[in-house]
Amino acid sequence: MLTPFLSGAIVLIALPALMTFALAFMRYDALTPPVWNGVENFTAIFQRDVFWIVVRNTLIFALSAAPLQALGALGLALLLHPQRRGAPIYRSTVYLSSVLPDVAYALIWLWLLNPLYGPVNLALAWAGLPTPAWLVDPRTALGALVLVAAVRVGEGMLLLIAARRTVPSSLFDAATIDGAGAWQSFRTITLPLLTPWLLLLLIRDLAMAVHSSFTPVYIMTGGGPGYATTLLPFLIYEAAFTHLRIGQASAMMTVMFAIVGLLVWMVSVLMRRWGVFDAL
Amino acid sequence: MIRLMIWVIWLGVGALMLAACVQPIQLTVQAERTSITFLISGDPADEDAYRTLVDAFMTANPDVQVEVINIPGQGDFSRRLAADFAASAPPDVFLINYRRYGPYVARGAIEPLDDLLARSAQISRSDFYPQALTAFTWGGQLMCLPQNMSSPVIYYNKTLFDAGNIPYPANSWTWDDFLATAQALTLDLNGDGAIDQHGFGVEPTLVRAAPFVWMNGGEIVDDPVAPTRLTLDSPESRAALAWFVALQTEHHVTPGAVAEAAESSLSRFLNGRLAMYVESRRVVPEFRRIDAFDWDVAPLPAGRRPASILHSDAFCMAAASPHKEAAWRFIEFANTRTGQTILARTGRTVPSRTELAEAPAFLDPGAKPANSRIFLDAIPTLRIFPALATWNDIEAAVNAELTQAFYGQISLDEALRAAEMRSAEFLR
Amino acid sequence: MRSRGLALPAASSQRLASVGWRRRLAIGALVWQGAAIVAAAIFLAPLIWLIVASLQPVGQPPLRMLNWFPNGIAWSNYVEVFRIAPLTTQLGNSLLVSAVGAGVTVVTASWAGFAMAQMPPVIRRWLVGLALLLMLVPSSAVWLPRYILFAAIGLLDTYVVLVAPALLGTKSLLVLMYYWTFRRISSEMFESAALDGASVGRSWWSIALPLAAPTTLAVAILAFSHYWSDFVDPLLLLKSAQRFTVAVGLRMLQQMDVTNWSLLMAAVVIMIAPVIALYLILQSSLRGGANLVQRIMRLDSKDDKITTEPASAFESES
Repeated sequence: MLTPFLSGAIVLIALPALMTFALAFMRYDALTPPVWNGVENFTAIFQRDVFWIVVRNTLIFALSAAPLQALGALGLALLLHPQRRGAPIYRSTVYLSSVLPDVAYALIWLWLLNPLYGPVNLALAWAGLPTPAWLVDPRTALGALVLVAAVRVGEGMLLLIAARRTVPSSLFDAATIDGAGAWQSFRTITLPLLTPWLLLLLIRDLAMAVHSSFTPVYIMTGGGPGYATTLLPFLIYEAAFTHLRIGQASAMMTVMFAIVGLLVWMVSVLMRRWGVFDAL
Repeated sequence: MIRLMIWVIWLGVGALMLAACVQPIQLTVQAERTSITFLISGDPADEDAYRTLVDAFMTANPDVQVEVINIPGQGDFSRRLAADFAASAPPDVFLINYRRYGPYVARGAIEPLDDLLARSAQISRSDFYPQALTAFTWGGQLMCLPQNMSSPVIYYNKTLFDAGNIPYPANSWTWDDFLATAQALTLDLNGDGAIDQHGFGVEPTLVRAAPFVWMNGGEIVDDPVAPTRLTLDSPESRAALAWFVALQTEHHVTPGAVAEAAESSLSRFLNGRLAMYVESRRVVPEFRRIDAFDWDVAPLPAGRRPASILHSDAFCMAAASPHKEAAWRFIEFANTRTGQTILARTGRTVPSRTELAEAPAFLDPGAKPANSRIFLDAIPTLRIFPALATWNDIEAAVNAELTQAFYGQISLDEALRAAEMRSAEFLR
Repeated sequence: MRSRGLALPAASSQRLASVGWRRRLAIGALVWQGAAIVAAAIFLAPLIWLIVASLQPVGQPPLRMLNWFPNGIAWSNYVEVFRIAPLTTQLGNSLLVSAVGAGVTVVTASWAGFAMAQMPPVIRRWLVGLALLLMLVPSSAVWLPRYILFAAIGLLDTYVVLVAPALLGTKSLLVLMYYWTFRRISSEMFESAALDGASVGRSWWSIALPLAAPTTLAVAILAFSHYWSDFVDPLLLLKSAQRFTVAVGLRMLQQMDVTNWSLLMAAVVIMIAPVIALYLILQSSLRGGANLVQRIMRLDSKDDKITTEPASAFESES
């Protein structure tokens, strides 16, 4: 019964991933047979200043979008976890933004952030606030993408609500009797108990932030203005499918995998300390 | 709940079996005729034009089925073409600009057409403008058959000119005349401090700026055949680019970055809020659908010497095509007098067959643009970009910088330095 | 404000009796409602704006002020968009792909989850690790090799390649959801079934799957919306326009008609409607999504094994 899963994992993921890794050490353009060229692809990409700009963009994006997502999820989970009137409706509303298809989500935000006619800037102007050019201005474009990615907090919120409900209310009662305020019981009870789940969420969001950035970049900015919103998956896609530099694209993929792996490893070390793996 | 679930599973299994059954049936049906694919990139009006051509071909050749695949957007088109080649499943025939075919032709992915053309009973080399053939010649071999001899011109909204009491552009106008006209047509109609009507719209790319560089006596690269570096920083080139960039940064006659992102210049022109727009002949089918205003074309304003750039797309055949005979028959048909007449009549092309230049299919006095002759007048002045496998990369690197300079996000000198640095590895 | 809402349910029952506490509770509830409504409104606003944008008449100058319908409501956009784009075909294609993908996924994911749950703990741990690892492999790492692979066996431009990931349960998460569910079923049930001569397949079909019905619904909906939303795969792997799914269709529409925001937004509404409907069904049938996550993540007490009827085990509200 495991056969489909295991064979699928091998044929559709493991083999292709290994193939990508092997291609990183070859000159390959898909039209002529691959030629082994050692680390030449890596030296070529490392020499390009655009590559380093993109690595920096990717790190900024992942390291701001993922924590914002986790924090947003935490805030909403704490707000919406009680079993009160209307709570399921509010939760569903928040969750909906996370289930929208990527293409639709990107197109909606492309419209919302339209610098002149978009509702966001119309609302800001109405309120007398400054109206940034969002995706058009190289200084704000990456920030706008972070914002768009960070708003998708639905799944994280559900996970944290579930986790929050496992905290026995007797703990809070005891704290209240001891005279602890709301903030204090949050800090001493809720937060420690939720931390493993927050870290789990952070791992997922870090990996997802990098991997799922392709569609928004592709639809909303095409990597511009200049290289301001070019992130690694988009650069890799362009190198492979527009310029047919598949060897170099594979080398960049290897670097990206290393970056994501490093980030995830760092968080998972924290997780092990908190004993999250025992729950799985 | 359980019943629902079982139902879902059966639906899935059933649909899968259905899909499995349907596939082979389709294959057997198609086996009776040779089926070839034809990849293009264009708006709906463009697609209609090529479908007209394909229908005429299939009527004359009932044993061949041509499937038109239209991928709108140049970027999406390039990616799609590259992916198809990467999978060794390229389209049998595709239409591509000479500036973008380098990567494929350099890797032997395109079938040379010399022999086929020499043997053809219907078309011959001498039917075509030599410049167009040259653009698609690689290592001495003709690789693709060019359909057109187009070049950039200025499309202008006559209704807006009339409203502002501004004379239509003369065929001999200069850069200064052009700027004055554009300024006179850039208006804040409702007095809210924001410009509602722009005088001019242009994509801030190398292909648009190049004619102005050449007109000013500058060059794009140091050697048109075997370039080793960009020469955009020479005094003549730089002055032309500075003039081009100042249209936006200083004179504000074109939409700024924000306005352009909110609504593109093309869209503004179509909606009657932009007076002059630079494009090649390719937008004519779409513009002929405009009802709200009258329009015509004017040549690019003249500089110190006449120059413009060739825009030519050609029918290329993939070397890996399993149906080369059928593919060639389609390419051949498209470039006969009949085939090119069909496309010229839709407005899409300036025919690459010399005999059709003066033909009514192109110079039809009843069809817009009335001033079509300027496309023919420009032909002797047309230049081309160097034929390099990496030309695509060079243009992309320059465009990224030029766009930022045009919208005032970086200075022109910064842009030129960055363009030089980032294109260097592709010019070796 | 948030922390107050958080602390309130914790108030002990004796204190609730006092009048002062009751008043504070009422004010707290009011504040909570206000905060919750604001939060929900922030997330709902984009969808409302989307619908408003989709109903603006085509060809009118874009709005420069916050103004709902200055030029009237154009319901005709929803008809017009079907005329300018082959949406009917694309929706049909998406429906076929998503239904097949979801159906196959339910089978493969539940098989894998079932098998994993029966394994000895050491292997189990390895398999969970594998599933988690698979989640971390970037999808972009497999774009090109998969493309070359599918081209080599002549499957490009067929729907088989789009639903191929269903072979491994679409996403590891879906396999893990089944695994977490099945692990909670007492192994004694299977042992006794085996003693009665039931095969593994029989145990899966008549014991495990019925007990996991809520998980199946969730997996089916998650898988369906995965295939419905999938953009990169059809973009790369399909060639013929008549086979395009609606996700690629939206991109084509964006590229083709830059002037018509209202029509594009109408197409977006049409595309997201089924996904939203499915999630609302899921939500209502599970009485709040948090409940399901809570169950499958096994966050509740460890001895809470399913031994009886599934309905009572799953749908009791905490």
